[in-house]
Amino acid sequence: MNYTKYEMKANDELEALLQDKDSLFVIACNKCFKEFEIMEEPEAEEFSRLAAAMGKTITGTAKIDFLCNKVQTARKLMDAIPEGTEHIAVISCGLGIQTVADIEELPVLAATNSLNYIGHHGMALTQKTCGACAQCYLNMTGGICPIVDCSKSLINGQCGGAKNGKCEIDPKKDCAWEKIYQRLEKQGRQADFSKQPVQIRDYSKVNVEVITAFVKEARAKRFEGFYGGVHPEENKEYSEHKALEKFPESDYVEIPMSMHIGAPAVPCVEVGEYVKLGQKIADAPSFVSAPIHASVSGTVTAVEVRHNPTKGEVLTVEIRSDKQNVLHESVQPAGDLDSLTPDEIIEIVKEKGITGMGGASFPTHVKLKPGKPIDAVLINGSECEPYLTADHRVLLEYPDDVIYGLRAIMKAVDAPKGVILIEDNKPDAIAVMEEKAAAFDNIEICAAKTQYPEGAEKMLIKRVLGRKVPSGKLPADVGAVVSNVSTAKAISDAIQKGMPLVERVVSVTGERIKNPANYIVKIGTNVEDIIAHCGGIEGEDYVVKLGGPMMGAAIKELHVPTIKGQNGIIAIDADHTQEEPCIKCGRCADVCPMELAPLNFAKYADEGNVQGLLDNSIMDCFECRCCEYICSSKIPLVSKIKKGKQAVRENK
Amino acid sequence: MLMTKMKAKEAIASVADGKVFIINCHGCKEIGFPEEEAKELQKEMAAEGKLIGCMTTDYICNTDNLNLRLRGHMAEIEEADTVLVFSCGVGVQTVADVLEDKKVCAACDTYELPGFQGVTPLEVDCGQCGECYLNMTGGICPITACSKSLVNGPCGGTKNGKCEVDPNMECGWERIYQRLKKLGRLDVLKCPTQIHNFATDDATKEWKETE
Amino acid sequence: MKVTELFQRGEFVVSAEVGPPKGINIDSMVEEAKEYLSGVHAINVTDNQSSVMRLGSLATCKVLKDAGLNPIFQLTCRDRNRIALQSDLLSAAMLGIDNVLALTGDHTKMGDHPQAKPVFDLDSVSLLHTMSLLEQGTDLGGNPLVGEAPKFAKGAVVSPCSDSVDAQLLKMERKVMAGAEYFQTQAVFEPEKFIEFMEKAKQFGKPVQLGIIIPKSVGMCRFMNANVAGVHVPEEMIEELKKDKEKTKAGITGIEIAARIIRECKPYCQGVHIMSLGWESKIPELLRQAEL
Repeated sequence: MNYTKYEMKANDELEALLQDKDSLFVIACNKCFKEFEIMEEPEAEEFSRLAAAMGKTITGTAKIDFLCNKVQTARKLMDAIPEGTEHIAVISCGLGIQTVADIEELPVLAATNSLNYIGHHGMALTQKTCGACAQCYLNMTGGICPIVDCSKSLINGQCGGAKNGKCEIDPKKDCAWEKIYQRLEKQGRQADFSKQPVQIRDYSKVNVEVITAFVKEARAKRFEGFYGGVHPEENKEYSEHKALEKFPESDYVEIPMSMHIGAPAVPCVEVGEYVKLGQKIADAPSFVSAPIHASVSGTVTAVEVRHNPTKGEVLTVEIRSDKQNVLHESVQPAGDLDSLTPDEIIEIVKEKGITGMGGASFPTHVKLKPGKPIDAVLINGSECEPYLTADHRVLLEYPDDVIYGLRAIMKAVDAPKGVILIEDNKPDAIAVMEEKAAAFDNIEICAAKTQYPEGAEKMLIKRVLGRKVPSGKLPADVGAVVSNVSTAKAISDAIQKGMPLVERVVSVTGERIKNPANYIVKIGTNVEDIIAHCGGIEGEDYVVKLGGPMMGAAIKELHVPTIKGQNGIIAIDADHTQEEPCIKCGRCADVCPMELAPLNFAKYADEGNVQGLLDNSIMDCFECRCCEYICSSKIPLVSKIKKGKQAVRENK
Repeated sequence: MLMTKMKAKEAIASVADGKVFIINCHGCKEIGFPEEEAKELQKEMAAEGKLIGCMTTDYICNTDNLNLRLRGHMAEIEEADTVLVFSCGVGVQTVADVLEDKKVCAACDTYELPGFQGVTPLEVDCGQCGECYLNMTGGICPITACSKSLVNGPCGGTKNGKCEVDPNMECGWERIYQRLKKLGRLDVLKCPTQIHNFATDDATKEWKETE
Repeated sequence: MKVTELFQRGEFVVSAEVGPPKGINIDSMVEEAKEYLSGVHAINVTDNQSSVMRLGSLATCKVLKDAGLNPIFQLTCRDRNRIALQSDLLSAAMLGIDNVLALTGDHTKMGDHPQAKPVFDLDSVSLLHTMSLLEQGTDLGGNPLVGEAPKFAKGAVVSPCSDSVDAQLLKMERKVMAGAEYFQTQAVFEPEKFIEFMEKAKQFGKPVQLGIIIPKSVGMCRFMNANVAGVHVPEEMIEELKKDKEKTKAGITGIEIAARIIRECKPYCQGVHIMSLGWESKIPELLRQAEL
């Protein structure tokens, strides 16, 4: 099956078209809705050969994925068309041609005709098509479309032209009304149809005003904030109103030494040693690393390599808790924020083992030494992952701490402004934070439209500051430092109480968790115990993920310790699908917030084509899973991208 | 691309006989789907005790994956008198085909939006007329930009550069004229009289027949 | 005169059919009609039959009426949208042409302008519905008509020997619901199928005219079997035509066959509609043999 919507114009028509024209730049769309078998579509070469045979100069050729995607096409065409080009010949459907004509100043020539067919296909290469008549008749026709399937689009029954069950205009085409009759008869529903009043189609339903207004609104919404993104079902209702509770003391904690990005921490305690709550149990061996502290008081019972379902073989410190929470002497308030110097703040952040708590776990002190002027500190309170409500609860219950943490970061990086971004699906949090922020001239609350992956650094910066972080660059390169709500709270605790990062808020939620809740959990507490405490998982056929459904890691084995970056434990319905061949529906490219074309990653990763992966900027991908979420062929894009990145790294 | 709007509640009620199993397709939700309205209606139906099951999934137009996902719900579907589908017409037809013996009904009407690929509707539209006119119109489609799809120039209904059908819509031929003028190509309009061929391409029949 | 009135009087209604020429000279057609068709109750005037462009049906109807004949205005939905259809209906009524046969029409692809845009804004059922509305004094848009409302004898067609006869019956029911007052059928060559059909169709209580085509040749029958929907000439009938070529060529065999079909079916229907396809001259003899 191939739903390509155009074919080349006939040669004589092209020759007539090119007669008085020269210096052509050729742009070809890589097509859509066809099986993604070949990378190189042949039309551009065919056209160039014809033009060359006529003695025309071709100034260049560009082959572009989804030419009608104006944002991506405009970027790709920037500086692509050489001086001296007089005409642009476009090989595409009418949408691509018009898009180029809209972008470019030069005359645009259409080298193709769109194919004239009736009906609109869905997101699979099937024969089923829909007439988009805005007045669905399927309810009276047994689910067979009379608009598309009947050559005359009759809606009151069969004409007299059917012969042997075939249509009068094409003996290969089944008579739709014959099919409809048989379906209705089979279901005993002929009477339903004969009772229908006379059907008269209302052509005013497909109305230019309605459609243009919708398109305008839809485009404004899609490009508001940042390019791409998706809107998965939020499902926050399971836990958003559950107040934070301290999770009961466990008998033991298992603390892995690599919870963060960078070098694993090095244990500084021994088996049998008694440790107190907040006592450092592992040192950071290098700048990009973080120390680790005891989350309970008790006895060290193991320092050994243990298997972790998401991290592999990890050196782990196990502490048997005495459930006394005896505070370590080092846990002392650091004094007034005003009296602390930026370096002192950074030192506290570093010593207290604070790492990003939004999921990536990058050591926070590294971010606080950007080496560049910073215009704004952005606190990510978007919590754009479905289900998760940890940050939401922190905002509601610790608003002062979040603002304190933000102020500390602003002081550390000498930023004149702080912004807390909260998605509009948390109006209560926005209200609380606006009230609290009112006391500070230099702190703003940004209420943003809910859209995944709002919380990703680059999207956040684009939304709040309107700045685009270039490929391979960091937020600091555009004058921004981004931190998570829980991280800000942790910084506040580190300064105001002297408490290192030994606990965090975890949402335990999902339709399959019996009693969803938001807990303050000691680092190292076992997930299995947490789930059990919530009444366990109901039924069969579920998936458990650490984190949200989009970026969280699915785990089969539940015996896994809670780490600094783990904001959620979810148990959700399993979805049963199978991977199908890519049909170039273009959705992945439309939703990729990094403006990439993920379909190519899947293709090249499978082929092991490292150059292809690099040409398509695979390393810019941060694995937000929008592409996989939207993929109409259910291709596990993120695992293919991971494989591709691995191939790129190995090739270096 | 296709977008759906929910039918009037009364229209849905009139077809939702007996026990109802609901299938929601969120595949094209990013383009447009009446998610909140559908939820509300389904809640009401559940309260009335009409609902015997519900499945929310995506891309039900893909038969293979639809079959996989229906597996866990077959008992409920068997018991249902009506399977009510909230999706575009392609989705409803696919379900109706898979559940051939069931009364499968559509709860939505389907509208076409400009744009073939992706999830973002476009500002430009292609009428798929089979005989691209863009070479004589400076790259503005007269089939879709003109309310009457005129191919030989504007009608007399232009007022202040706006279309007679909708005063918010720019006259397509006014835009074409301005674009050609800017490009210095007004002479292309001296081409022979254009007569639109409405015969459907044979080429498009091919993919209808390949399956 | 409205054919419905004839049915009401209990007449066995006989109608024939003429196709306007592709041009503006209509005299010979009118002369032939006057000569051969004065014995029939009404004459259908086809509307760009088989999607082949010809002189207009309505104008031809007016000429026939002026010549003292009783025309039936065939109106298809292929070439006109609902505005033009209603406008032509009003024109017909104004000209005193009150027999209208509502048809969907063949697809444009079937004719001599396959590039044309097929309209099908309405179909036969909704056209009948529209006629009923006009008779009540409002148009399809719900607007009142000024002055006297038109009144039509609303005819429709059905294909009794179609291979999807059940689907045809379903459509027939909807036509009745929409206001059809009588039916003409597609050509019948299989009386037993027609009788079977009439058994089912009589529930609608509307008069039905048996459709007749005089078989002209073996080739014509083979062509119809291969290409015309709802028409099937049985093999034994083709054999009959094969027997005496001269007799067949002269139309004698064809008239015998057609007359036999009419006689067999007559008890089951309320009239006959003869599609003579150029053999208008044979109609008087056919009527004689059919004992009409």
